[in-house]
Amino acid sequence: MHKIKQIFIYILLSIFTVISIFPFIWMIISATNKSIDVTKGRLLPGTHLVENIQNLLSTVDLVPALINSATISIATTILSLIIASLAGYGFEIYRSKAKDVVFNILLLSMMIPFAALMIPLFRMFGTISQIAPGIGIDTLTSAMLPSITTAFLIFFFRQNTKMFPRELLEAGRIDGLTELGVFFRIYVPTMKTTYAAAAIITFMASWNNYLWPLVVLQSPENHTIPLLISNLGSSNSPDFGIIMTSIVIATLPTALIFFLLQRHFVAGMMGSVK
Amino acid sequence: MKKLLALIMVSMLLLTACSSGASNSTEPEGGSDSNQITIWAWDPKFNIKAIELAKEAYASENPDLKVNVIENAQDDIVQKLNTSLSSGTTKGLPNIVLIEDYRAKSFLQAYPDMFQPLTGSFETEDFVQYKVEATSVDGENYGLPFDTGVTGLYVRTDYLTEAGFSIEDLQNIDWKEYIEIGKKVKEATGKRLLTIDPNELGILRTMIQSAGKWYVKEDGTTPDLANNEALKLSFEIYKELVDNDLMNFHSDWNQFLATFNGGEVATVTTGNWITPSIKAEASQSGKWAVVPHPSLPGMKSVNASNLGGASWYILDVPGKENAVDFLTKTFGSNVDLYQKLVTEIGVIGTYIPATEGEAYKTEDEFFGGQSIISDFSKWAEEIPQVNYGMHTYAIEDILIVAMQNYLGGQDLDKVLEDAQQQAETQIK
Repeated sequence: MHKIKQIFIYILLSIFTVISIFPFIWMIISATNKSIDVTKGRLLPGTHLVENIQNLLSTVDLVPALINSATISIATTILSLIIASLAGYGFEIYRSKAKDVVFNILLLSMMIPFAALMIPLFRMFGTISQIAPGIGIDTLTSAMLPSITTAFLIFFFRQNTKMFPRELLEAGRIDGLTELGVFFRIYVPTMKTTYAAAAIITFMASWNNYLWPLVVLQSPENHTIPLLISNLGSSNSPDFGIIMTSIVIATLPTALIFFLLQRHFVAGMMGSVK
Repeated sequence: MKKLLALIMVSMLLLTACSSGASNSTEPEGGSDSNQITIWAWDPKFNIKAIELAKEAYASENPDLKVNVIENAQDDIVQKLNTSLSSGTTKGLPNIVLIEDYRAKSFLQAYPDMFQPLTGSFETEDFVQYKVEATSVDGENYGLPFDTGVTGLYVRTDYLTEAGFSIEDLQNIDWKEYIEIGKKVKEATGKRLLTIDPNELGILRTMIQSAGKWYVKEDGTTPDLANNEALKLSFEIYKELVDNDLMNFHSDWNQFLATFNGGEVATVTTGNWITPSIKAEASQSGKWAVVPHPSLPGMKSVNASNLGGASWYILDVPGKENAVDFLTKTFGSNVDLYQKLVTEIGVIGTYIPATEGEAYKTEDEFFGGQSIISDFSKWAEEIPQVNYGMHTYAIEDILIVAMQNYLGGQDLDKVLEDAQQQAETQIK
């Protein structure tokens, strides 16, 4: 009986696995096929991968876009982690009624969809452009500034900080560490897995971010990977082989980071401190 | 402590690195420099190529002006324009932007001060009239007409022969005759007549425009659904096509291409811009022909209609004089440029003097030696002009639901009545 149940579970899980993995497999297979074969729904790997990559490189500036995306994502991730962890730590460790109110307001800001913030934000950057063009519209900095930390990330760090043992903190203080010292020498190393999880979330969100970079980055030199892919599909007769190849290339960095940090990610989602 | 310092240093470095890099690259952009203009358009194989040709033609006489062409997807351009214009920030906006005709008025009427009027800058009589109407608001012309979406009926001659028809039988037919032919073709070949995306009613738009009607009345804002005879008839024809199983359904562009490339349908009824996609399947060379678009039976309707098409607009930002000069000397008057557009890209313009050129008369072997460009241009001049108004896509969303209700068995008058009410509440 037990065995039958298990077989059933495995069959069910296999079906779900196939359903969720199929788009990825199809994406990779399509990257090796000609556009016309993609439209016909060919499911066998083809021999046009090299040709697709060559065409892709000759039609768009792939490398600069990759560098832009990487610059924005890495800088956003580093800044986000510093700011959000400091904030989350502060909200939890130095807790007071007033701070809880501030925190709740912060959480409320998660309810506002980005589309509603976009026009005021764009206006703001329009004004900034006149004062400091270096960080105004159409600069990489402007693409990352609105997301250098999010309410969600602060919330995420605060929740995880709840599990951070106060004894460690007290021990550090007794041994003469400053408050910042406690944070960097004790909190950061202990919460490594939380940082890893946060890094993956932020990096992926930033790498795939579309709407804000779209409106704020005008020059093609500043385009990021999602904008580039969007442009590839803008034609009435798009080359799907090239599009699929570019999507595979765009997916690689996030996949790589996820697999590298996967162990930490799972642990981080469960909580750093056991 | 060292770690903190190191982290801060790294982030500062990154921030300054990208901000300095970016500020360098912004300089050549934007309209502030008097000797350059920026253009936004979509579709690298079509519009972008066209603007590159225009750039070449212009540079031979005016080498001083630098023209930056920036490629963005159409939806992206709409999003960027809406954000910039509604926040009142002109920073980063281009001098010239390509806008689809169906959407143009929503921009022109919502942000009238942001666009540069072009009345008097070029000869409007030289352009196809439906196009001039599409680019004007209150008698003021804001856009320079670009390509036409003039429609045709692409037919598989081999399937027709099999069913006992010749091309002559399909010249200037109406939709009822088209359906009758379709039934016989299906009987003989087993192929459906045409393929449609049920979430997009382009075919309805072509039907009603051939009768000089649109989703809105001539003022461009009053929905015209409930008492629109042309629309009612179009709904009936659509249902007849479905009921007789003559309609194949596709859900996206890929499937659309695959359907006719794979020989699944006997005809394709759409804008002339589909030509390159039809020709993409080289093995079908000689098996295709293009005949005039079907008309609506029993009412004032012509064998010509339109689907899509876009025009160039100039934004009221520094550099607009250069932009006007660029457009009027290229797309506004250059006959040779239009010949190149046809031969190198397959863009059919709406500039009437250009149709006399050699390139327009070329015979296309793929279509059995037919001069399709010349045929399309002839039909383009017959397209009835309508006011596309501001709400084409909003109303179409309502009609997509209405169509499903009608196909599901509801009464047509009631369906359109409901759609009318819904449109009226939605569009203030």
